[in-house]
Amino acid sequence: MAVETKPAGAVADHKEMLISGSEACAEALTLADLDVVTAYPIRPYDTVMQAIAKKIANGQLVAEYIVAEGEHSQFEIVKHASTVGARVFCGSSGVGWMYAMECLTVTPPLRVPMVCMVGNRALDDPGAFGVEHNDALVVRDLGWMLIWVDTAQEMLDTTLLAYRIAEDRRVFLPCAISADGAFLTHSQALCQVPSRALVDKFLPRYERGDLLLHPDNPITVAPQANEDWVIEIRRQNDEAMKRASTVIEEAYADFRKVMGRGPENPWFEEYMADDAEIILVGMGTISLPMKVGIRNMRAQGKKVGLVRPRWFRPFPTERIVKALSRASAIGVIDRDYSFGSPFNSGVVANEIRSAMYNADKRPPLMSFICGLGGREVTLEDVAKATDMCYAAAKAGKSDPKTHWLGVRE
Amino acid sequence: MAHFTCEVVYRGIFQKNLAARICRGIVLSARKAGRWGIAFGRYGDSPQRNGIPAKDFAIVADTQEELEQNMARYEPKEVDVTICVDDTLSKGVESWAWYGLQPINRLTISGGTLLMTSLQSPADLLKDIHKKDAPYSLALIRAKASFSGLWVYKEDHTEARILGALARIKPEFLSLDAVGQAIKEAEWGSDLKVASAQKAHERLESRPVKITEGNPEIPYSFEMPKWWEMREGVSIPAIPIGKPMEGGKGYVPERNPYFKKFTTRTMRPVIDFDKCVKCTLCWIQCPDSCFDVTPDGLYDANMEACCGCGVCEAVCPAKDCVTMVREDAFEDNASQWEMWRKDKGQYKTWMTDKIHSKEHITRSHGFRFRGQYEEEVKKELDSGGIEIIAGIPGENAESKK
Amino acid sequence: MPESTFTNATQILEPFKGVKKVTIEEYFTSGHRTCQGCESALVMKLMVKAAGPRTIVLGSTGCMYVANTTYYTTPWVVPWMHTQLGSSGSAALGTAAGLKALMKKGKMKSEPINVIAFCGDGGGADMGLGAISATLTHKEYNSLILLYDNESYANTDIQLSGSTPYGANTTFSPPGSVHRIIHTRWKKNTAGMLAAGHPECRYVATVDASYAVEMMNKVRKALTKGGPTFIHSLDPCPKGWDYDPMLSHELGELAVETGVFPLYEVEDGVVRHYGKSKAIVEGRPRKPVREYLLKQGRFAHFTEEDLGYFQSKVDEMWDKWEVPGVIPFWKERPGK
Repeated sequence: MAVETKPAGAVADHKEMLISGSEACAEALTLADLDVVTAYPIRPYDTVMQAIAKKIANGQLVAEYIVAEGEHSQFEIVKHASTVGARVFCGSSGVGWMYAMECLTVTPPLRVPMVCMVGNRALDDPGAFGVEHNDALVVRDLGWMLIWVDTAQEMLDTTLLAYRIAEDRRVFLPCAISADGAFLTHSQALCQVPSRALVDKFLPRYERGDLLLHPDNPITVAPQANEDWVIEIRRQNDEAMKRASTVIEEAYADFRKVMGRGPENPWFEEYMADDAEIILVGMGTISLPMKVGIRNMRAQGKKVGLVRPRWFRPFPTERIVKALSRASAIGVIDRDYSFGSPFNSGVVANEIRSAMYNADKRPPLMSFICGLGGREVTLEDVAKATDMCYAAAKAGKSDPKTHWLGVRE
Repeated sequence: MAHFTCEVVYRGIFQKNLAARICRGIVLSARKAGRWGIAFGRYGDSPQRNGIPAKDFAIVADTQEELEQNMARYEPKEVDVTICVDDTLSKGVESWAWYGLQPINRLTISGGTLLMTSLQSPADLLKDIHKKDAPYSLALIRAKASFSGLWVYKEDHTEARILGALARIKPEFLSLDAVGQAIKEAEWGSDLKVASAQKAHERLESRPVKITEGNPEIPYSFEMPKWWEMREGVSIPAIPIGKPMEGGKGYVPERNPYFKKFTTRTMRPVIDFDKCVKCTLCWIQCPDSCFDVTPDGLYDANMEACCGCGVCEAVCPAKDCVTMVREDAFEDNASQWEMWRKDKGQYKTWMTDKIHSKEHITRSHGFRFRGQYEEEVKKELDSGGIEIIAGIPGENAESKK
Repeated sequence: MPESTFTNATQILEPFKGVKKVTIEEYFTSGHRTCQGCESALVMKLMVKAAGPRTIVLGSTGCMYVANTTYYTTPWVVPWMHTQLGSSGSAALGTAAGLKALMKKGKMKSEPINVIAFCGDGGGADMGLGAISATLTHKEYNSLILLYDNESYANTDIQLSGSTPYGANTTFSPPGSVHRIIHTRWKKNTAGMLAAGHPECRYVATVDASYAVEMMNKVRKALTKGGPTFIHSLDPCPKGWDYDPMLSHELGELAVETGVFPLYEVEDGVVRHYGKSKAIVEGRPRKPVREYLLKQGRFAHFTEEDLGYFQSKVDEMWDKWEVPGVIPFWKERPGK
């Protein structure tokens, strides 16, 4: 349960609360005057739906709250609510997200700006509730915007930013905010919650414009198409995703101006990366043991840093290449897998490798897989990965093998 | 090194199995001479709809490499022989939206052949077939179009006749012997069919068509927009609401401008406005919303929109008010009500001529009862003409007898 | 929040008093790539003619999607949007909930807008049954789900569905030399099932476009009723059933006159047969099913045994069921 505490060093027009990532999301949705939300139980994301239910029951949020009979319907319902102009929210985890897959596929071409929370969870089988990133990653090719957060505060802020960006007419693409299961969804932290007045300055109303489905705007949406039309439609989506980068920069700048806080760099967090010899890369809450490990290693004289990508789609290619080119070696720790992919690496490692391909400076890249199914990423894992990166830096080339850390073998 | 490309243009569903047999037959016949071949339907035509024109292709080549040039494509750029198994398709084909009206001889190569089953004269056919800017031959098999459906097939030997005719047109690729062999070995084959193929081979009539001959009409077409010209969100404007016809009375719906559907029909309704009792049934039961409501409360079937299903004739309670007449009796899509309004006497003469021609009001297609096709075929197999006068169905049938 | 005038009211659509009083406007017009004689297209036309211009239609994948909005065009005059094969229930619910939320909160002008989601027998009674069921429990949202039943997955070139009649020829159930009948399942009783399973759903009806005015009046009643409603329409399909397209109207009538398809409505829990089905319940003899079946090529392979079996099942429906044609519960079984 959320507890209001007396702020020490609080931010103007903000209220400090002790809340989980899910509750922080619910706070943001209340401030955003959400219109329609659909719920279906699956762990660990559905704590957000429980939090929203409380908000509605206590009159803090006025929204249509529909419990669906399955994730496919859950997502389809809000997709349609969005087409008539309602601001919508949805979410799921693991195989629940998979059950909604048909809807996830169609929302980008339909240009439906739904904002979803994915409580990252391992995919069945076996049924396991711990964190893995494959669920959200599955939609990476389809036109979804994808972002990973690592604190409850970031969850709250990103929810507001996601609506601002997704509902911008230049974009109109769905956005999935990934929050690591358990660590974010279930742990409570101190958050600065902005006032409604501040949010109203930052977040305009959702206007669907010429795409609104309403008798005053008679259109046909998604007629059947054949090989004469599809590639043009895809090209439009390509353009929208490209425009999203500009909109993201604008939105964060505006956020900082209105809220008086917020990251300078929307795309990724850099931690002690300026002078780092080894830069580690990881998404989501893996950043926390990484940061602790980095501080320990710095104390030992090792210059290690972290780049934690936030936005995965659109992928900030030029900026990440610039940030990583400084290092003597890069270590990517994937909390996901991609069996049979090049070098049997995880998804993030393969994307970074691909981004670096044309760079003038291409430091050796080491690929690690760790923390699957909620296994904790330990300081030993981080140290081991760093040491292997140092070896690669010395040798001047990558070890093509992908290393699985923390496996009993 | 040579290859031979062939298309079959046909009425979707009604001639689906026929087209498949023809194309497979071509490939299997050519195989007898050691050639390679492929047979395929045009992907975009699927799912086929009753009457909507569709195409199948057969490609035969001396080598695998030549064959490959034509694989993994939706349709060849040109064909040596266009086989048209329903002569009402000579007016042109609109199989997809945005494709406009495409002449039946569009893909026929210069010097190629348009092979048709038809009882019309070449002169009459050339009133409908659009002019081509290259010469070609018009070859005719004297027979009515063969229509079946998805499940019950009419064994009237049309596929055998077509194969026999092809052997006469392209003997270097298909010998009559090879065709005979392939027919015999086919699941649907028989000695009788081999004989039909041979007869068709003998009786084929062919004549050259000059570039000056044909229908001079410019078929309508559309230009496809670029990706940045298209509305976003896979959205298009709805059709606007219709308007009264004249003086605030009557009603004319707006219609989809990119797909007109009139090339789907083999017959069209002819209305005797004097007999109309204004029951509204034709207007309300038409699945294609063809009927414009006139200011005097009559119903005028729009000939750009009508696809010839015949439901209007079936539901009309007034005797001889609506009569389905074969499409080859008409040369344009003119409004019948306008004709009638302008000169009732002249219209009556025109109309009477159409609806009293037994040949022209004979129903062209459709399964009605088990054993029907066998009855039809039994009648006049040899001369290639098949007569059936089926009863007019529908709840009002009794009142019309 | 601005003052809202929202009442969740529906439009008041009075029944048409006869075919000459029917709306003249077309809200589903010409230029769709459907088969000659497509009864489902007629259902679409009549459905929106009955509903009027202040309507939003959601169409799930199927013939009435692919054939209608073919290759990037449309015959729809009212706003229309595609939805997924199993999503008619979700589409109706989501659209209605979105409109309600916005109107309640004063973000959109309050007015009763018809929300109609349609589905075929495949998308509705098979894949999307769960979603439809869920929507029918949400009495706070007004919508109509219309299931057009051409008794197959027609758009994919005729495959059997849970609504395909016993023994019918489809590409998944071709009569072969060893097995004449592959499809031995009996048709699902969808409308009755939905009426029985959702006691708060205020209106469920079966319709047949051969009886056009009655069909339109059922649509109007459903839209006026309030809450989620469901209509099941039987659509003779000249392609899948294999018959002369001009017979569509006649076959629609024969389906009812033989008792194969019952016409009834369940309104606030009260079940009423209507049209020729009412006459049958009151004692009018049914035409033998063979009159209906043998006009269709999809049953051309039927033996006398098959026809007899089919007849016996239809007889059961009217002679033995507690609520004839609606609910398959018997008072007691003979013998045991």
